[in-house]
Amino acid sequence: MQKTEKVDLYKLHKDQYIAPKKPQLVEVHEAKYLAINGRGEPGGEEFTAKIGALYGMAYTIKMTRKFAGKQDYSICKLECQWWMDDGSQNFSTTPKEQWNWKLLIRTPDFVQDDELDEAAKKLLEKGKESEVKQVAFESFSEGSCVQMLHVGPYENEPETVLIMEDFAKQQDMEFHGKHHEIYISDPRRIPPERLKTILRHPVRKKTC
Amino acid sequence: MKKSTEQLYKKRILRVQMYIQKNLDSDLPLEKLAKKSYFSEYHFHRIFRAVVGESLKEYIRRLRLERAASNLKHSNNSIINIALDAGYQTHEAFTRAFKAVFGCSPSGFRSGNGTLAHSQSDTGNKKIKPDNGDYPMKVEIKTIDKMRVAFVRHVGPYNQCGKAWEMLCTHLGKDGYLGPTCKFVGICYDDPEVTPPEKIRYDACVTVDENFEPQGDIAVQTIGGGEYAVTTHFGPYEKLSLTYHKLFGQWLLKSDREVRSEPSLEFYLNDPDSAEPEELITDICLPLIPKK
Repeated sequence: MQKTEKVDLYKLHKDQYIAPKKPQLVEVHEAKYLAINGRGEPGGEEFTAKIGALYGMAYTIKMTRKFAGKQDYSICKLECQWWMDDGSQNFSTTPKEQWNWKLLIRTPDFVQDDELDEAAKKLLEKGKESEVKQVAFESFSEGSCVQMLHVGPYENEPETVLIMEDFAKQQDMEFHGKHHEIYISDPRRIPPERLKTILRHPVRKKTC
Repeated sequence: MKKSTEQLYKKRILRVQMYIQKNLDSDLPLEKLAKKSYFSEYHFHRIFRAVVGESLKEYIRRLRLERAASNLKHSNNSIINIALDAGYQTHEAFTRAFKAVFGCSPSGFRSGNGTLAHSQSDTGNKKIKPDNGDYPMKVEIKTIDKMRVAFVRHVGPYNQCGKAWEMLCTHLGKDGYLGPTCKFVGICYDDPEVTPPEKIRYDACVTVDENFEPQGDIAVQTIGGGEYAVTTHFGPYEKLSLTYHKLFGQWLLKSDREVRSEPSLEFYLNDPDSAEPEELITDICLPLIPKK
């Protein structure tokens, strides 16, 4: 399998995808994503089905463009935002069934809505799950964020988040918005202790 | 007591070695040598390397050059005739190859009365020992179910198979056949060290369901089925051959298993489009004869 020249958003926006061993401040500008919302346990039935729908859409849109000779691009890694109903960060004390999430794949701005609709139609015709209809484009900017590489099982993330939060405090800042993860490793292939995940959390100046 | 695979394979490879020795003037095509060994063409070259420690091509070339050296020393035959006997069309090509192995030119060798200018050069005559590596190789025996795959046949240098992948993925993708459960499998039928690059056959395959129908250059076949020895290669595809050497040299010969006459399968587990070469993960699957 060989590479050809194409748009690679992670390389283009390297500064937003740094994976430092120590927490660092980054500026995350507006970005467009293919997105699908859900609720419940990570790795659960709904979660897995929606990852399938999201990737199905991502591949179909990309390859339809490519077949038509339009600008080619690399499909970015999977990302996910996580949040609680009450806006808190109490992941460890909230049952996983109550976790909210938004699965994301960053996608170039030049990909249009009609391409999304066409892909969904095609996948439904092929008998794919109805979840593909829930995949939509979303654009948002996270502004200032603390970012850090987490190595190890997802369960151990709270330790890394704590370091990030301490770092924010030292800068006289506080967490707000949604916890964001960028999955560098494939959990189906990489043993938990070697899993690499970029953790990102938006921050703002502390309000007294 | 059952003989070890190593003893058995050594015996079969020895037959080939004897045949080569007697027929250095002949063409020695791979198919014929594979037949002599009773190994399938798919695996013969790798088993040969694992047992002998150098590739078939290197082995034959070295034997021909060593015979040439002996002729230089003991006969009055002209250098160009000796070169032709050794399978070289020009004096220059012969000189280059001879120098690489013996560290001096054929004429220098002859005038020095058959003594080497210096000991064999570092680059010449290097035996590639089966790599024992820094860590023991992890190999699992797995049953791989038969899979229906859409595929594009690539004929040409191995490192240009990207075009086949591109065509396959574009066509499958635009019709909604690509998803996270698809398996990406490569089948390499030939030995890049023996088969000329323009003739190497490679199938780029993606698993599809029963609904997929062949179209244009995209055909359908069934692959897999049965037991395989599976090991994981981490890193760039260019280095896959090192892991193959290890699988044959370090694992197969020491195992009590034998290879089946089917090509090996390569499962590409991540996307070279978005992963760095160092991050690439490939499962190499070697088909095995069922245990009795």
